[in-house]
Amino acid sequence: MIDIPHLIEQTNRLQPPPANTLRLVDLVCDSDCDLTEVSELVNYDQVLTMKLLRTANSAVSATALPVSNVHEAVQRMGAMQVMAFAVASAARPHFQGSLPGYGLNEGALWRHSVAAAVAIETLQACGVAVPAYASTAALLHDIGKLVLGRFLSPEILGFIERAHEHDGLTQIQAESTLLGVHHGELGGLIAQHWKLPPAVVSGITWHHDPGAGGESVCDLTYLANLLAKQIESDLDGRQYDLKIDPKVADRLELEQDKLESFGPRAVERYAQVCHRYDVF
Amino acid sequence: MTVVDFDFVRTFVRDQAAIVLEPGKEYLVESRLITLARKENIPTVDALVAKLRSEPNNGLQRKVLDSMTTNETSFFRDVHPFEALKKSILPELIERNRQTRKLNFWCGAASTGQEPYSVLMLMADHFPDLLNWEMKFIATDLSLDVLARAKAGCYNQLEVNRGLPAALLVKHFTRASSEWKIKDDLRRRVEFRELNLVSDWPLMPQLDIVFLRNVLIYFDVETKKTIFGKIRRLLRPGGYLMLGGAETTLNIDDSFERVALDRTSCYRLKAS
Repeated sequence: MIDIPHLIEQTNRLQPPPANTLRLVDLVCDSDCDLTEVSELVNYDQVLTMKLLRTANSAVSATALPVSNVHEAVQRMGAMQVMAFAVASAARPHFQGSLPGYGLNEGALWRHSVAAAVAIETLQACGVAVPAYASTAALLHDIGKLVLGRFLSPEILGFIERAHEHDGLTQIQAESTLLGVHHGELGGLIAQHWKLPPAVVSGITWHHDPGAGGESVCDLTYLANLLAKQIESDLDGRQYDLKIDPKVADRLELEQDKLESFGPRAVERYAQVCHRYDVF
Repeated sequence: MTVVDFDFVRTFVRDQAAIVLEPGKEYLVESRLITLARKENIPTVDALVAKLRSEPNNGLQRKVLDSMTTNETSFFRDVHPFEALKKSILPELIERNRQTRKLNFWCGAASTGQEPYSVLMLMADHFPDLLNWEMKFIATDLSLDVLARAKAGCYNQLEVNRGLPAALLVKHFTRASSEWKIKDDLRRRVEFRELNLVSDWPLMPQLDIVFLRNVLIYFDVETKKTIFGKIRRLLRPGGYLMLGGAETTLNIDDSFERVALDRTSCYRLKAS
């Protein structure tokens, strides 16, 4: 129903993050990441430096002594959060607009993306093993919607709706069946085009079907997406029944009591850190 | 789309290709026919179905059939069958055919060619000597459109992302503009042919392995029985039938035995 080569072309036209941000992602995802190198890289970017210092000195991050330079900020926040912050700064303009095809008002996709990144931080705070690149994968997991959303004409949306109603297909299954591609795959393609690490590409591609991805980052991104929905529901005063695929829980070695604590902790954490991403 | 038109199309598709479309699939039929109607400059799906009824031999039948087939495929789909092929099946067949140095494969419902090319890449990487054997690799599909794409061996970035490891992409493909093309030394080894699984089959050699994955799910039991019967006559004793994860010969044709291999299973023709 859609012209796939045209879709791929549109995907490749999406403005990538600045080269410095991409280098920062590479650096932090490297297992031998050195905080001094991270600081040096951030120092090259004046806008990022300014935002980072402001965030590091904010109410939540601040201790008694204010942070006066990038190196202190990086030490206080940690490399992973600095990277998440830099990626978020670069991605935010893309995610702010509305996406009528997905029923998302202005800012809604950004809030969901930030909630997913916060969910990753929560998992880490709860003792789950979280690799550095998971926060980037979580933050960008729905980036494919930015492009696919442009192709979702009222006619296509009508078919997707009927696929839900008559065949019980999920959004992602309906996209695959009717369009031959789903937003996860397309997001992976964008991440690949931006030369993000392969693990980030996998996490984005398989965030709805983590078993197919076969990497822990896929499980984590899947979980972050669900927890983000819980956060959003909580903010809107709606009930959300968090149902996690038992296979994912097994692979991540998450026990039931731990799983039950994630939702409330993610909601709490979101309220604390969303200023870092400048959500509101 | 009216109920009458949907019934007409699903009867047509069942008669021509044995594809079963249950009620409730109207959205699927309509979405595919809208795309075809636009290509053919026919204003509506209703008008397309009317043309299909009134002009049975104008080539539209073929196009409708093509548009109603599901061509979902990927490189190394499901992974485990290819592991089984590498670790168990091919070593066994190589040992068995060492004297004759002949092996024949058939990949039915090959779609755009990812499956036969995956098998060939696996052979080239793990059993390179096999490429010097007298080998016939036939790949068939009902749809002429997808066969043309399979023969060309060109894939877009989304397609190569589906299951193809980067190392194999670099080794076995060349970049052709925005697409990737499988290298000729592998591409030329596959003989692509048109074949409708529910019509008469063209002459085929005795086969060592048949790949018929994720296609029988669209057929009823009687059609599956007929197809298994035909495969039985083509397979050499001890030859293998590879089916999709949701497909089986059990309770349909007992001339095959299920062979559990690591994390998958396949079917072997029992010795008569």
